[in-house]
Amino acid sequence: MEFKDYYQILGVDPAAEAKDIKAAYRKLARKYHPDVNPEAGAEDKFKEVAEAYEVLKDTNRRAEYDELRKYGGRPGGGFEPPPGWQSSAGAGAGHFDGDFSDFFNSIFGGGFEPGASRSRRGFGVRGQDIEIEMPIFLEETLTETSKPIHYQIPVYENGQVRQIRKSLKVKIPAGVTEGERIRLKGQGAPGEGDAPAGDLYLHIRLVPHPLFDVEGHNLLVTVPIAPWEAALGARVTVPTLDGRINLTIAPDSQAGQKLRVKGKGLVSKTGRGDLYAVLKVVMPKQSGGEARALWQQLADKTAFDPRAEWSKQA
Amino acid sequence: MTRSTLQISIREFCECEGVSEGLVVTVVEHGIARPLSGREAPEWVFDTASAGWIRKAIRLRQDLEVDWVAVAMVIDLLQQREQLQLENSRLRQRLRRFAMEE
Repeated sequence: MEFKDYYQILGVDPAAEAKDIKAAYRKLARKYHPDVNPEAGAEDKFKEVAEAYEVLKDTNRRAEYDELRKYGGRPGGGFEPPPGWQSSAGAGAGHFDGDFSDFFNSIFGGGFEPGASRSRRGFGVRGQDIEIEMPIFLEETLTETSKPIHYQIPVYENGQVRQIRKSLKVKIPAGVTEGERIRLKGQGAPGEGDAPAGDLYLHIRLVPHPLFDVEGHNLLVTVPIAPWEAALGARVTVPTLDGRINLTIAPDSQAGQKLRVKGKGLVSKTGRGDLYAVLKVVMPKQSGGEARALWQQLADKTAFDPRAEWSKQA
Repeated sequence: MTRSTLQISIREFCECEGVSEGLVVTVVEHGIARPLSGREAPEWVFDTASAGWIRKAIRLRQDLEVDWVAVAMVIDLLQQREQLQLENSRLRQRLRRFAMEE
């Protein structure tokens, strides 16, 4: 087991006053709190900082830790508590929340089980909640669908953690949205003894679609059209999430113009959203010969300044 | 088939988190989350998203040793950040459909 230098973790002097320890903790906690800092590694860092503070903020625990530090505090060196070591400031001096290191538990953890979850804070030994990411295709959100899921739950046996694989079939309600969490009661980690199991949360992630973009409950589809289709108008077939539809493009349409197709968006509590077809004028890759001559004719005969806005400002 | 739900009652929430109903009431009073239904606190039902924010608020207050007003502000900003990140990734996706391939 590695000796943990709590002073170093908090970046304070071993002779630091309680108020400096508190200030150092607060600063690091703000920086690394996993609810604020989504970066990988932040949570581990936060746990380390919280553990250091748990020890150093308490006068008795700090005194015991300082004793041990003199005894075995070689950073990087192996550490074993002295034979017969028993903390008087650890177990019984209040409960700890958060899961602490083996080092912490070997010193203060009489009866404190490693890996205990936050949800056990205070009382009860309910099983841990589990959250898994659930990718969903836009097509699947239109109606209630059932999907098989596989996940792992940690099970504590004789102080050891074992991962057990679980499989379930779950109903995904119609109209789920990005970031939503579906709760499956009692499908998390089992509780201890008679205590209830934790819940399983499915974190919905809408898979980016090759054609459609999501905007609230509406969808957007980009429709490429030829310049002459924009000029003369056209009828084009446009894909929707459920089947194709025909769309009339009016003469003299503009690039970026949006055409609304009612009721072809995503499902929501208040009915179905709309689909917006966004026009994108696309040029042929190359125009030679006759086509070029026709463009030239158009250029000669059309009085059109696409940059009229600029000349106004100049 | 396992029953899935997008809701959690205040009683279940308190059991799961090992917190008191009073604490949840305080969080709601600070405008951090709003119950989906229920007139009085014991009847409150939250959607899972709100429950998630309440959970975060309780953790932040405890771990950062800050008061509820500060927690409410942090939660507000976190929600705004989440919104903006989502909007940003959607706009980027849309932009890619119009911009030329590099």
